[in-house]
Amino acid sequence: MSEKNMANVRRRLIATAAAAALVAGGLLVGGASGAGAAPTSGGTLYMITHAGQFAHADPQRNYTGQDIAFFNTYLYRNLVVYKPSAGPSGSGLVADLATNTGVPSNSAKTWKFTLRPGVTWEDGTAITCADVKYGVSRTFATDVITDGPAYALSMLAIPQDAKGNSMYAGPYKKTGQALFDKAVTCSKDNRTITFNLSHSVADFNYATSYPAFGPVKASKDTGDKYDLHPLSSGPYKIARYTINGEMDLVRNAKWTKASDSVRTPYPDNVTVRFGLDSNVIDQIMLSDSIPNTVNLDGLQPVNNRAFFADDKYASRRMNVYDPYVRYYGLNSSAGHLDCLAVRKAVFFAWPIQSLIDLAGGTVFYGDVGDSPIKPVLGLDYAKTTGNTHDANFKTAGNPAYAKSLLAQAKTDCPATYAKVTGDAGISIDLPNTSTQQKASVLLKAGLDAAGFNTKFNFIPSGQYYPTVQDITKQGDVTRAGWGADWANASTVIPPLFLKDGGFDLSGNWGDAVYPDFKAKVDAASAETNRPKQAADWKALAQFAMDQYWITPPIFGKAQLDWGSKVGGVAFWDPQGTFLFPALYVK
Amino acid sequence: MLKFVSRRLAYTFAVLVLVSIVVFIIFNFLPIDPARLTCGKSCFPALIEANRHRLGLDVPWWEQWWRFIHGLFAGRSYAEGSAAIVCGAPSFGYSFNQHSCVTTLIGQAFPVTFSLAVGSFILWMILGISLGVLAARFKGRMPDRIATVFVLVGTSLPTFISGLLILLFVVLKFNLINPIEMGQWMSPFTNPWGYFKEFIFPCITLALAYAATYTRFTRSNVIETSSEDFIRTAKAKGLSSGVILRKHTLRAALSPILTIAGLDFAGLLGGAIITEQIFNLPGLGRLSIKAVLTDYDLPVILSTTLLAAAFVVIANLVVDIAYAFIDPRVRVA
Repeated sequence: MSEKNMANVRRRLIATAAAAALVAGGLLVGGASGAGAAPTSGGTLYMITHAGQFAHADPQRNYTGQDIAFFNTYLYRNLVVYKPSAGPSGSGLVADLATNTGVPSNSAKTWKFTLRPGVTWEDGTAITCADVKYGVSRTFATDVITDGPAYALSMLAIPQDAKGNSMYAGPYKKTGQALFDKAVTCSKDNRTITFNLSHSVADFNYATSYPAFGPVKASKDTGDKYDLHPLSSGPYKIARYTINGEMDLVRNAKWTKASDSVRTPYPDNVTVRFGLDSNVIDQIMLSDSIPNTVNLDGLQPVNNRAFFADDKYASRRMNVYDPYVRYYGLNSSAGHLDCLAVRKAVFFAWPIQSLIDLAGGTVFYGDVGDSPIKPVLGLDYAKTTGNTHDANFKTAGNPAYAKSLLAQAKTDCPATYAKVTGDAGISIDLPNTSTQQKASVLLKAGLDAAGFNTKFNFIPSGQYYPTVQDITKQGDVTRAGWGADWANASTVIPPLFLKDGGFDLSGNWGDAVYPDFKAKVDAASAETNRPKQAADWKALAQFAMDQYWITPPIFGKAQLDWGSKVGGVAFWDPQGTFLFPALYVK
Repeated sequence: MLKFVSRRLAYTFAVLVLVSIVVFIIFNFLPIDPARLTCGKSCFPALIEANRHRLGLDVPWWEQWWRFIHGLFAGRSYAEGSAAIVCGAPSFGYSFNQHSCVTTLIGQAFPVTFSLAVGSFILWMILGISLGVLAARFKGRMPDRIATVFVLVGTSLPTFISGLLILLFVVLKFNLINPIEMGQWMSPFTNPWGYFKEFIFPCITLALAYAATYTRFTRSNVIETSSEDFIRTAKAKGLSSGVILRKHTLRAALSPILTIAGLDFAGLLGGAIITEQIFNLPGLGRLSIKAVLTDYDLPVILSTTLLAAAFVVIANLVVDIAYAFIDPRVRVA
């Protein structure tokens, strides 16, 4: 996923043994609060944020890691969820509404989930297969249910028209209902749901950890307005939700612990306060004036440094690897950086350490990486060769070596050389923020020293991604970030480097090597042997790095803080946020 | 007078129509695509088109404008089947970001902004006029010097500084308001103390900036009026200085101030964006800034712009009428 709305958006990511190694290596600064102490029930747990609202409370529209983690903990029940525990084990799936984590057959083109008995909605009625089927069907109502993950659209065996629209238009219009009824079926006892997929998806059960594959009761569906008050199936229900105001959750009397092997709801109430000024949030956290509070945003940079520098806050903070890889896409389409030597020159001239220092340094912002796949993805990550491991690579930038590469480009591809060194120059897309204005100074110094004529497109931050995702408006170099949706680089390599992947900022589909690359990606995507697939992803990451489709990547970090009366704090790796199920009020 | 008011009302209507057209044109000719911008993360062409249809942006701008105008009088409906949404007349449209009819959103936000505007208006008029009169009355002496310092500080401190200072070093430092409760609407009828606590500091923030300006205006107007012939005549007739000030000087000196006050008040009714943002007040200012910066929400942008324009135009009308009553010279003219 792109790093749009980075403050709020924590994309899903599976941490693995590699994450454990990083943790053991001391890269986590600070620690969990209340570790070892017995959790206590009761009290009100506050959460505060500058955002005016949850991006979405509607399960089919919920697509941000932090929001998914919040709602899966307190309000929704899903077929499967991530295990609510800290560390690598938290990345494993556990059955929730279902009795197991999914049974594949037919080369993983068919997946079955059987619902456990005794699970009810907040109105006391039983949750059935029909509710899950109806919930999934809502994703197809693309003119009402927007913003959510589109996995159901792309994975279920429902044909599409020439424009790419599904032949099924969702449960409101009911056009093509028979096609959906064939793709998703319920058993006669209304307890077993079967998904028939258009192609083999070995990790489909990870996709069903998204609330988009969760139940919705048809009689309570209010279309767009369901976003304001989804019917609860979890341990809490919404007592009040006002945008720019607050969301108050109270206990759901119809939920029983006997029906739920995943959740233990500790607080009596959970209240989220929206729209607080960032200065007010920082003041609350620094002074610990509301000690039973969790900060959903993180502190502002200056206060963040102070908070992490002072030992008195040690028990109320955590510094962890977030799910994102930050990078700049090198646009290799015609008329841009359509020359390997030029892209390589950009890569080696890139002053990455200055950029990291500007954003908070290696302690707070991240480390120089070597792949679009982050090490916490474990199975699919391998140290690449060349690029940042090349003897000529310097974190401060190596203008002398970059100059030699440009000299080679003058022979290999004179037109591209002339463009990037001439009046047209090399254009870098940046969001128009004060930090990026400062970054532009560093970038210009680094690239100009190598012989580039560096120019910038500053784009209003709210319009940044919609603009650069349009290839006709994209510059030569484009700032971006990405995190995996789940523990498979199938949610990294195809989206980032395939034309139809959704976030290909490398413009590589005109590249001579692209057909070969695409064939390999397609083969890897269809591979059901997981170790073999992992090897494919590693090779493809190396392929992308060898083509210099991105600048040196940064493996990002995030800082979390909370009040002194909040216990059980830990990081939930796959969700990239607090381990909400463990939080309690001391 | 009736003819005058009718003419001004027609003018008001024309201005509002013009404003609505201009907002539609600006929105449609910006170099960004709202359908793409609000399409979500996993967006592909078919989804963008579906989103465009959902937002009602798949028709030319003049048709969008006409639908808006039509909705004001006949209401509007959105989506189909069991997901249909109806916003009754007068409909300002539907906010897909906030999942509510815009009329409802405005209805919720307006009392907040109105409370803020009225509270700060009262404070700044009392403070600004009192200090201005004192400064004029004791020109060159201590009260004048104090007023000068106040004016300097008040005009030098923008509200985003004074608001933050008040919030961080007064409200939060002395725990005057629980920050968790900030921004929750409290009715003055059911919770007057809570309402007072909620609004007093934002009102002071706004009033400080305005009062400084009004102190300066009042002082210079009173000094200027005091040197007029009719004041000299009043003195020659043996009237006391208090009577002269109340009955003659202030009436003449305050007329131009009233004009400005009316416009300032109307401007505030459109939303005090910075103050509402700092104190987390869910008023029209926050509503519009969220629509512009975060949501790109045309119905909300359009409605809050129209509302702000309407307040200013109507305030102009009211001030013009009130002017005639306050200053006899205007009536004669």
